[in-house]
Amino acid sequence: MAAAAGGSRTYSFKVVLLGEGCVGKTSLVLRYCENKFNDKHITTLQASFLTKKLNITGKRVNLAIWDTAGQERFHALGPIYYRDSNGAVLVYDITDQDSFQKVKNWVKELRKMLGNDICLCIVGNKIDLDKDRNVSVEEAESYAESVGAKHFHTSAKLNKGIEELFLDLCKRMMETAQADERLKGNGSSQSASSRRGVQIVDDEPQATPSGGCCSSG
Amino acid sequence: MLRLAEQCLERAKSFIGKSLDPPGPPMTAGHRRMLSDGGEERSPFLPPEVFQRLQVIASQDTSRKELTPIEEASRLNQKLKANYEARLARLPPGQAYQKTSLTLSLQRQMMENLIIAKARQDALQRKMEERRLRLQEEANRRFAASGGMTAEEQEQRLLYTNVLEYEQDHDHKAQQLDWPKQWKANMKNNPDASLVSDLVSHLLSRSDHPVVKLLRKHQYRVYNRLYPIVSGGASLRPSHSSNSLTRPDTSADHQSFISSSSSLSPSHSRELTTEEDEEDEAHKQRMVDRENSFEDLETFLTQLDWTPSDYIHIAIDQLLSLTLLSFECLNTSTYKDLCLASLEEAFFPPLWSALVALFRKVHWEREEAFQASVRLYHDALPGDVGVPSKLFPGDSGMLQHASFPYESAVQELKLLVQDGCPQRKLECIVRTLRQICICAEDYRGLNEADSAPKTAAIGADDLLPILSFVALRCQCPQLVSECAALEEFIHEGYLIGEEGYCLTSMQSALAYVESLHTGVAHHPANA
Repeated sequence: MAAAAGGSRTYSFKVVLLGEGCVGKTSLVLRYCENKFNDKHITTLQASFLTKKLNITGKRVNLAIWDTAGQERFHALGPIYYRDSNGAVLVYDITDQDSFQKVKNWVKELRKMLGNDICLCIVGNKIDLDKDRNVSVEEAESYAESVGAKHFHTSAKLNKGIEELFLDLCKRMMETAQADERLKGNGSSQSASSRRGVQIVDDEPQATPSGGCCSSG
Repeated sequence: MLRLAEQCLERAKSFIGKSLDPPGPPMTAGHRRMLSDGGEERSPFLPPEVFQRLQVIASQDTSRKELTPIEEASRLNQKLKANYEARLARLPPGQAYQKTSLTLSLQRQMMENLIIAKARQDALQRKMEERRLRLQEEANRRFAASGGMTAEEQEQRLLYTNVLEYEQDHDHKAQQLDWPKQWKANMKNNPDASLVSDLVSHLLSRSDHPVVKLLRKHQYRVYNRLYPIVSGGASLRPSHSSNSLTRPDTSADHQSFISSSSSLSPSHSRELTTEEDEEDEAHKQRMVDRENSFEDLETFLTQLDWTPSDYIHIAIDQLLSLTLLSFECLNTSTYKDLCLASLEEAFFPPLWSALVALFRKVHWEREEAFQASVRLYHDALPGDVGVPSKLFPGDSGMLQHASFPYESAVQELKLLVQDGCPQRKLECIVRTLRQICICAEDYRGLNEADSAPKTAAIGADDLLPILSFVALRCQCPQLVSECAALEEFIHEGYLIGEEGYCLTSMQSALAYVESLHTGVAHHPANA
């Protein structure tokens, strides 16, 4: 019946946003989820929780972006935020060495908790302030490589590098999900309800075909 | 001859006596039990027997059960007996012969009725068995693709056979009773999401449908096992910092969340499907034996060999599968979610107070910490818990309808404990966070009245301190246990979306509030 038709899938990914207080992660994610044709881009939870619908190489992707509090006193409950995450965006301010150290701590914690299941993206924000740079490009990029993360430079202010970082992250999360699928033997376990990562949902026949690409929700 | 007549009379008398006996007095037994319980220590929880009876009463509907041939015959016999007694009363005194003859004739008629009924019953039984075999084959064909036969699949096959049987029963009756067929046709002609919850609530109102029977069975089992724990006075110690009731053997938060992700292990589902009622009885006895002997959750749950969240997740999955088998038209991802929501809405309310009582026993230390912070900070202002000054009014004169900032969000959150359905509680948390965002926007507007409206929206850095303030002002320690329970019982599909985000934020804020009373270590000034 329902499952037979179409065969196209929708991926649902959870992405956590980590970073110290003033690194600009809120502006970054607001930029990304902004819809040029519609002013109602902000959900009822404003910048704390955002969703975005994408179409990547013909596959539909629903992103749920979870912002986390940067303050130390809320870190005790960090693990409950990033459990079941498919990806993490770790933001630091290129003018602030301390914020880069914080990113390193989070990477360590994420790898410890989630192993290699999670796709990491380390983001040096505020490249519009390059003259005040305190974290060298080489240091940041070699660190990212050493922990199996991708590194991006962005400017939320100038809207630079943001689309690219999320697109790359989505593609890597899709690869991970597809590899998982192959591993599981595909198909037969349609009702397997694991508590981890709600990833793949069969499309319904009556779902309206998605027009174009990159429509934000 | 006379002796023979006497013997017959005796038999008839004993027979009449039997048929007069009411069928067991469980009601009175239950009442007595309840009263004696109440005498020693007042427990707000009904004994499981009463719970079970209420379940049946609550779901009683118009679909009247048909009488079996034996039942019909005994009803007829009661009428005959009443006639016989009336005629005896009318007999003039001293007509012993007439009396004996009447008695003999009654006995003969009653025996005949029973013999005929027995034969009819046997024939019917044979027919039913044949039909059941046929339906079983149909069920087997339906499951043919699945290949192997685990205990779980066997049970599902059996349940599906019950559904087929139910549907065939209703097929033979009057048109208006054949509701499954009608709904299936409705769904086919006019597939619409709004029909789904109507269909499921209709299904849940048919107390004789296998889905409803299964629902009641699972609810009763959960309650039966919770009752000895929650009705006793002992409180449980949580295992270290573990938040989870799923695996009590974990020692740290991060481990507990990882292990709780594998809650549907095959061994647990086997436990669920092969379990028999006698086991429940034996278990009840064991529970009574050790009712006062456990003092920490870890030991307790190890002995219990049963965790509420595992059981409930499997039970709900089983209910969902059976519903989807009964109505194949519901088997699409959106309809399935709607279906699940309706099933959970029926499943949880009768159990929630007992479930939350269990969680309160486990988390009492956290609740006490929360209470201690409330005592210290009950009149705190947003700034005291680290809310930036632009996000609350500088002086209370700027508040129009509230006596303190974010009061409307606090009022919303206070409603959480009143509902019995996890899904609705979750919606309440979402409304609370939305209300916070609305208030924050308003306050920012007040503070930046002259400057151009800025588009910066609040993110988690602002949200968490405000939410902590709201939780503090809510002054309800039970929130701690309610949220812990929600985390266990909310279906995983919701946990990735907005609802999951709100629940996670709420738990984070609660944990922060709990830590407030311990002093400077967590004070915002030092963060």
